[in-house]
Amino acid sequence: MLSEIVAQYSNDAALTAGSAHTGSSGLLGRDFAKMTNDLIFDLPNTQDPAEFLNTYTDVDSSADNQIKFAHGTTTLGFKYDDGVVICTDSRASQGSVIASQSVKKVIEINPYLLGTMAGGAADCQFWERELGRRCRLYELRNKERISVAAASKLLGNMVYSYKGMGLSMGTMISGWDKMGPSLFYVDNDGTRLRGDLFSVGSGSTFAYGILDSAYDAGLQKNDAIELGRRAIYHAAHRDAFSGGSVRVYHINEDGWEFISLTDFDDLHWDYTDRANRAT
Amino acid sequence: MATSSAKEASFSPYEDNGGTNLAIAGQDYCVIASDTRQSRGYNINTRFAPKTFKLSDKTVLSTAGCQPDGNMVVTRIKQHMESYKHAHNKEMSTPAVGQLLSTMLYMKRFFPYYSFNILGGLDKEGKGCIYSYDAIGSAERVPCLASGSAAALVQPFLDNQVRNCNQVGKPRIMAASPVSHLSLDQAIKITKDAFTSATERDIYTGDNLQIFIVTRDGVEEQVHPLKRD
Amino acid sequence: MFLTRSEYDRGVNTFSPEGRLFQVEYAIEAIKLGSTAIGIRTSQGVLLAVEKRVTSSLLEADSIEKILEIDSHLGCAMSGLTADSRTMVDHARVEAQNHHFTYDEKISTKSVTQAVCDLALRFGEGAQGEKSIMSRPFGVALLIAGFDDDVKEGDGAQLYHTDPSGTFVSYKAKAIGAGSEGAQTELEQEYYDGMSLQEAETLALKVLKQVMEEKLSATNIQVASVTSEQGFQVYSKEKLQTIVDAL
Repeated sequence: MLSEIVAQYSNDAALTAGSAHTGSSGLLGRDFAKMTNDLIFDLPNTQDPAEFLNTYTDVDSSADNQIKFAHGTTTLGFKYDDGVVICTDSRASQGSVIASQSVKKVIEINPYLLGTMAGGAADCQFWERELGRRCRLYELRNKERISVAAASKLLGNMVYSYKGMGLSMGTMISGWDKMGPSLFYVDNDGTRLRGDLFSVGSGSTFAYGILDSAYDAGLQKNDAIELGRRAIYHAAHRDAFSGGSVRVYHINEDGWEFISLTDFDDLHWDYTDRANRAT
Repeated sequence: MATSSAKEASFSPYEDNGGTNLAIAGQDYCVIASDTRQSRGYNINTRFAPKTFKLSDKTVLSTAGCQPDGNMVVTRIKQHMESYKHAHNKEMSTPAVGQLLSTMLYMKRFFPYYSFNILGGLDKEGKGCIYSYDAIGSAERVPCLASGSAAALVQPFLDNQVRNCNQVGKPRIMAASPVSHLSLDQAIKITKDAFTSATERDIYTGDNLQIFIVTRDGVEEQVHPLKRD
Repeated sequence: MFLTRSEYDRGVNTFSPEGRLFQVEYAIEAIKLGSTAIGIRTSQGVLLAVEKRVTSSLLEADSIEKILEIDSHLGCAMSGLTADSRTMVDHARVEAQNHHFTYDEKISTKSVTQAVCDLALRFGEGAQGEKSIMSRPFGVALLIAGFDDDVKEGDGAQLYHTDPSGTFVSYKAKAIGAGSEGAQTELEQEYYDGMSLQEAETLALKVLKQVMEEKLSATNIQVASVTSEQGFQVYSKEKLQTIVDAL
């Protein structure tokens, strides 16, 4: 196994788990591997691998195909004067079954970078893990942390080289670098946008409704966190693919900080009580 | 052969051979269990086809779904663990196998293994640990888990009995916490109940129940009969 | 050695009739031209100290780097053709990160050393389908220091020495480079089991001071430690100054 690792030395992404496999003849004719530094994916022996995936897997979370991946989400992130707030729900559904109520949809890439997870859970987990690996190597080689802009571009380029193959990923990459707080949206089409406020996933429209009604760059930290939490709460209330608990992170110049993980049910009664008291 | 009109024979590599598996993690143990029925459509192929395999003294892997795919997952994990042992002079820990399995499944992102895997065992501190996967390697550590054909029947039962979900007056075990508070005996009882009940309501589950108990002393295997109808 | 070498010292893959690979032996000689580097292992951690040759008053001493980070728990010191070490250190870094990616755990010091040594053998013609990537052996020796976390209490600290032949050996204390002979003798006399990291620090600097041609100062040495709590840390200029003053 070591010799295989060494054999691939000239490309730095010699992932050992993939290289043990021999059935990658399907790669011929399409240069997927080259484009992402020789990650070796196995492909079905058909003329159109993407069509194969369309037939057997639920590329769209509502489709009723044989193999169901973990899907569905509400995530949001916004920049304000004191940093960045990142909130997510924690539900994963496979078809109509709730596969998990406890998914960690915030991926800690390094102490200064966070990624969020919407779309295919495995796609996000794998590529953001790969992003973490590359960011760490960047840091070792250059003796400084990678910028958020560069990190998001790396991720965008990685998934862009698989365009049309059925990857499903809608992510926000956020962090604090020399330029201050930064927030980027990156998805599987290759879209990469810099912005102040994003929400991604099946429940995003509901979250946007709450966010847009109260967002202000001058918010206090506590109010900003509460706004994010409430937006996810309302999205989970109306979107069947979202739910579980609300997870909140905050980013400032010292890096990210985990704020809270609150069960949806606890939030629901808390908000209802508050509403009742107000009337 | 004219390439322009080349036709592809129908390529249908997947088949659901059914079967259910389950795992419960405790402070110092992990229980991983599966039934042994293997079926194809409405036919039962065999009544004893083990789906759960001991990987090391600390780790057990269970696979339901398409039997050949699951078999390949187990074979390749075993191969990799063996070469790891020689390369790094130590046995692979359960969390390391957990990450490896995730990567291995994702390497088949464009031609997935049709298998529902549960990895169970003890972590480096000796606590029970369970990793849940989808077909392409999305992974999560959980305190208890059911997967396979009767997952939708068994998981709510585990949520209620193991994690105390929606039980008034009992402390709820957050899904994010790594272990349950049950004793090993309780966990085994719940496992048996889960399978006898699933056998009553799922046509793909039955025949025998294989239970693997991982503790500090190693892996103990038990086989219990289930209904054979 | 010099009488029989003439015919057999040109190809990197030709043994002499006595069974020697001269080019590899010459590469090992190249290390003796390098600046001195010292590594000392204690149960608390590993200490690395190197000499920097500041050959001109106009040279920016900070730009000479002979101790590099491989990962948060791994570092290495070098002597010889330091340019060659870039390839090796980068390989070690990639290996460490790939290991972490695949297994979600830190790579052990021995495994990363093994990986570097596998690379050291890839000169000459390729074999077994492997592409050859170098026409000559590396001309550098490394002292790889690390702290492994999943071993018995007190056994975490690790120190390995690698040479151009791809051989690696574990040491309690090792010196390489121009002053290595004198330094190794001194280390053998002074080293004792149960040494603290602080004592190792003093010993390393004392030995370095003896073998260096220039007067030892905070600008012409580099020191780093690998411990369980702090991982790999290069000493700051200020910290170096206090240690040198105390010497």
